[in-house]
This record gives sequence, C-alpha cells and structure tokens, in this order.
Amino acid sequence: MRLLSVSTALVCLALFSGVNAEEKMSMSDADKAMYAEMLENNPADMDVVEGKELFNALTSQAVYGQMLGVKEKDLPSYIAGFPRFVKPAGKVVTLSQTLQMAAALGAKSVPKLESKEMLQMTAYLKSLANDQTTNIDVKANKQMQEMMKLGQEVFEERRGGRGLSCNSCHSPDVIGQRLRMQPLPDLGSKVNASAGTWPAYRMTKSETTLLDKRFQQCMDNALLAKIPLGSREMVALEVYITNKTKGNPSQIPGLKR
Amino acid sequence: MRTMILLGIATFLGAADLSQVIESPDATAILKKDALLAPKIAVMIEGCISSDPAVIARGKYLFHNLNGKDTKEPAPEGLVKILPNGKEKQYGNCVACHNIEGAQGYGNIGPDLSNYKGFFMDSGARTSQFVYQKIADARVDNPKTHMTINLTNGLFSEREVCDLTSYIVSKK
Ligand code: HEC
Ligand code: HEC
Repeated sequence: MRLLSVSTALVCLALFSGVNAEEKMSMSDADKAMYAEMLENNPADMDVVEGKELFNALTSQAVYGQMLGVKEKDLPSYIAGFPRFVKPAGKVVTLSQTLQMAAALGAKSVPKLESKEMLQMTAYLKSLANDQTTNIDVKANKQMQEMMKLGQEVFEERRGGRGLSCNSCHSPDVIGQRLRMQPLPDLGSKVNASAGTWPAYRMTKSETTLLDKRFQQCMDNALLAKIPLGSREMVALEVYITNKTKGNPSQIPGLKR
Repeated sequence: MRTMILLGIATFLGAADLSQVIESPDATAILKKDALLAPKIAVMIEGCISSDPAVIARGKYLFHNLNGKDTKEPAPEGLVKILPNGKEKQYGNCVACHNIEGAQGYGNIGPDLSNYKGFFMDSGARTSQFVYQKIADARVDNPKTHMTINLTNGLFSEREVCDLTSYIVSKK
C-alpha cells in the first residue's frame, strides 16, 4: 500500500519535472533518490521508537485504556477513531490531548502540545493503530457533530493577508492543479490518506511533524494567522480533515515531500 | 506491581474531571482579528493605468514575487523589500496561479494571462476596470473565487493594484 502510494507520487513528480525545471521544482532527481531511500528507512521511525519509551515512562497501555474506559486489546481500533469525545475530558480531544490527561492522572508533569516528547508519544500511540483503518465517527454524538460543523467552517473561512481559506487550495475543483510547481493534494484520497499518514517526516523541512502542525504550516505559507494547537477550532479542523480519509489505512509514520 | 498501583489510582480517578489539564487555548480573538471584510467594489483612481516603465516594472515585480525575503532581485523604484516595522513586504505571488510572459515555475489554478492585451483588451472582451476589480477583490464578480484578495484587506495600496493592472494590460 505504502509502495503503491509512493510510486504514484513519483509518477506525478516525473510528469511535472518536464514543465520547468528551473525554479520552485517539487523535487529534483537527487531528492527523488533520497525519497526512495528514506522509504526504506524513514527517519521518523526513530521518533516512534523514542515515543514508545516516553509513553511507557508516562503511563502504560492498561492504565491509558482504563482512563478512557477501553480494554487494552481494543485500543488500536479506538485510537484509529481520534479525534473523539472522551468522557473524562468532557469534550472532543486529539490523541495528544489524551496524553496530557494521562500525565496528570499519573501525577507526572504535563507535556506541552508543542514539545518534542508530545510529537514522539503521539506518533507512537497512533502507530498502535497501523493495522486499522481510520474510523472516526462524526455522527457519534452531539459533540462530534458540532465539531464537524465547526471544522468545515474553519476550513472554508477566507481570512488573513491574502483572503484565502484552506478550501481555496484544497477544494475538489482545484485538486491536482499546480500552485507554483506543486500539485495540490487531495486531502481525502486513498493515495495521500492524509490524516492517517501524519505524524510524518517532511523531507523539505527535515523533521517529523504532527497533522495539526502541518495545518499550521499551510496557514503560515498562505498568510493565515496560525490557530493555536489544542484550541477548539484546531481540534475541529482535525475532525473535519480526518473524516475525509475515513476508511483509509493508518500508516504511521508517513513520509512526505 | 507499579501497574497495579497505577491501575488503582486510575480507577479512583476514573470519574475525575481531567478537562482542566488539557491545553486548550481560546482562538476566537485570533480568528476575529484575521477575518476578511465583506466583498467591496473598487474603482480605479485617476491616472491608474500607465505605460510608464517604472509603473510596469513595479507591477511586474509584484506579480512574480512572493515577498521581500523570498526574492533575490533588488526591488524597483517605489517598492521596498522590508517594511518600517522590520517585517518583509508581501508581494502578489500571482505567478503561483497564473502563467504570463516570462513566468518561471508558474501554477495553473488561475487562467493564463499571456498576451492579455491581444486576447482580451484589444478585442474588447475585458476592460482595465475589470482587471482592477479582479485584483482588488475578485469576490465581487465571483463569490466562490479561489483567487487572493488584495485591496479590501489592505495587502496592497490602490497605487499597487494600479501597477499590477498596468502591467497585465500592457503590450509585452
Ligand atoms: C495557498 C494554497 C494553500 C492553502 C491556502 C492551504 N494549503 Fe494545504 N497544501 C497546499 C499545498 C501546495 C500542499 C502540498 C505541499 C507539498 O507537497 O509539500 C498542501 C498540503 C497540505 C496537507 C498535507 C497533505 C498530505 O500530503 O497529507 C494538509 C493536511 C493541508 N495542506 C491542510 C491545509 C489546511 C488545514 C489549510 C487551511 C488552514 C490549508 N492546507 C491551506 C496548499 C495550500
Ligand atoms: C490562489 C490562486 C490565485 C492567485 C494567487 C492569483 N489569482 Fe488571479 N485568478 C485566479 C482564479 C482561479 C481566477 C479565475 C476567475 C475567478 O475565479 O475570479 C483568476 C482570475 C484573474 C484575472 C481575470 C482574468 C480574466 O480576464 O478573466 C486576473 C486579471 C488575475 N486573476 C490577476 C491576478 C493577479 C494580478 C494576482 C496577484 C496579485 C493574482 N491574480 C493572484 C487565481 C489566483
């Protein structure tokens, strides 16, 4: 599956490389070779490994499951359904936010959403669902329905220095067109399986990034004010975008351009 | 053993309210400040369209560049790269979506603007005022447009929108 998606990506790149190789190229030949190599050896695998150690120092799967009222053996499928409403939070939360809850429950210091530990632990936790498909249920309850609606509003709201919205570049009618030399990705496609492939290693940034941090990168590029991690609007955006990839396999960590 | 104790605590706290420990900042103020004003009709100022090479040079520069940090070429007369507040000046980055004469690495989200004078102006299909309005606020004639907004939100001055319009409708 992963191989298939990558070869599709490479075919796309090959198609575009003929257009104008001078500037703002999506990927040079050297980059393509690096991409192929990184596929064998995704640098983000290390983050998952370190995330496991950090998680085990913070809590255990049993305790974590109990906090959420889930049997340990059901955790993978439960994890594949985030963001979701969890009772002890009283609201819809992301996986990272449940880690903050687990820290508090174990009387440990609560890691910040921005922190590297949080990134690594979230990558590990989400990787537990790698044999699952994304199964978010936006109709599960009133809270999820509200967040889905809010997420769509945030996605479609034009704002910022250039008056753009996420939808300006990710609506169905512009998918596959080029912004500069970059094909606009389909956030809902099987190939990208966007929500199910983050945290991912971004080659152009040389770092592993969370899905919500990826949203912030698009906001930065398009001159939209950055919505803070963990805010209601940010969680709602994650609900909305994750729902687009519902049914697609979860493949953590991903590898992106 | 440790797990057992933790499990005990977990059961004890099972009903506890953990919402307070979750980082959950309020974003409403940020979004409110970042909001876009309603679509606005824009009318060209006196002497808006010009064939002065200095005007065309500014329009061209605004069209092909993203911002003052991103570009290596020196800014033409009348444009700065860094604003008085130390931030980089934003340009149009129109080339991200439009082809035009001499464009490098252009995108195709918007229509090709090559030979705009020959195809659209000389035939009477378009007027300078139409182009001006498109750049100022494209929502006026297409509420669902994917194009950037450039005047209503104060990204550019009227003069700068005139520079861009002059460049697009000029013979190249
Ligand atoms: C000006 C255009 C533009 C805007 C506006 C924009 N994006 Fe993007 N987005 C892109 C491009 C181009 C890429 C692909 C970049 C790449 O391949 O490196 C992308 C990639 C992404 C990805 C990664 C897709 C993957 O491969 O998994 C996500 C997620 C995303 N955008 C979400 C958003 C959200 C949320 C917003 C609004 C807050 C937004 N984008 C606004 C242009 C845009
Ligand atoms: C994010 C994509 C995008 C960017 C950036 C962009 N445009 Fe456009 N532009 C479009 C689209 C899409 C249209 C098609 C008409 C519409 O939707 O309003 C368009 C239409 C136009 C037209 C009308 C062409 C015609 O005759 O119908 C002009 C002129 C134009 N753009 C100029 C500019 C200029 C100047 C800039 C930079 C300041 C710019 N555009 C930036 C997407 C973009």
